[in-house]
Amino acid sequence: MVDSYLRERSSKDWKKSEKHGAAEWLAERWTSIALIVLTGWSLWSAYGLMGQGYDAALAFLRVPLNAGLMALTFVITVWHTYMGLNANVLDYFPNSRLIKLVSFIFCLLLLIAALGGLFLAFKV
Amino acid sequence: MTQPPNAPKAVYRPLSPHLQVWRFHITMLTSILHRATGLALVVGAVLVAAWLVAIGLTASGCFPQAYTVFLSFAASPFGLFIWFGLSLAGFIHLTGGIRHLIWDMGLGFELKSANALSWWGLILGIALTVGFWAVLLATGKVVL
Repeated sequence: MVDSYLRERSSKDWKKSEKHGAAEWLAERWTSIALIVLTGWSLWSAYGLMGQGYDAALAFLRVPLNAGLMALTFVITVWHTYMGLNANVLDYFPNSRLIKLVSFIFCLLLLIAALGGLFLAFKV
Repeated sequence: MTQPPNAPKAVYRPLSPHLQVWRFHITMLTSILHRATGLALVVGAVLVAAWLVAIGLTASGCFPQAYTVFLSFAASPFGLFIWFGLSLAGFIHLTGGIRHLIWDMGLGFELKSANALSWWGLILGIALTVGFWAVLLATGKVVL
């Protein structure tokens, strides 16, 4: 009974992750593991820059390795954030496309702002 | 079978477990905290993005006072309070995430070890936060 129930329901009615198979579940895991390393590096860098003023912060971001790691940190953070926000949207507002869209636009703007600021600091 | 014999008309989607109907247990608290701290950390991502924007605007000359404006918030007592909260949320989300990764490997599902993992994650998260700020204050990085 359970098997036929699952087969009848899963193809069209279930939450999105059920249709995507394991991809989203795996992405949640590997972004988590990457963020343990990247936010650790960010926190260590922030500790070094604290109280050192604007020039030290700018010099830090103009090192290509630092700028690259910062950009990578933000790309993965925003991806992880997007999946996390979506899990909340699916739980509390399962039928709202609007809230899903708002969370997507928010994540996109966050990424553009961070990478834009980083680009200005690095290039200009 | 192409058509289910009695196709459901309205789809019933259960909501997440309601907070009121469960008796308190530690795995429930840490589960709620994992979600709450994750949401709180969105504010942290916004603030770090604001830091990058402030440096970018200052460096490019679009808005040279941008970094000073950012610091007037970030280094204020209210700003420090927010950073403290974010660091607490970050460390608790970190230990919570590691707990979930352990569970994802199929380990620690016994009631006793699940409870222990939850307690230790919570305690370690708080201890890391206290330790981090103790170092910041001891080294004079942060002056109250």
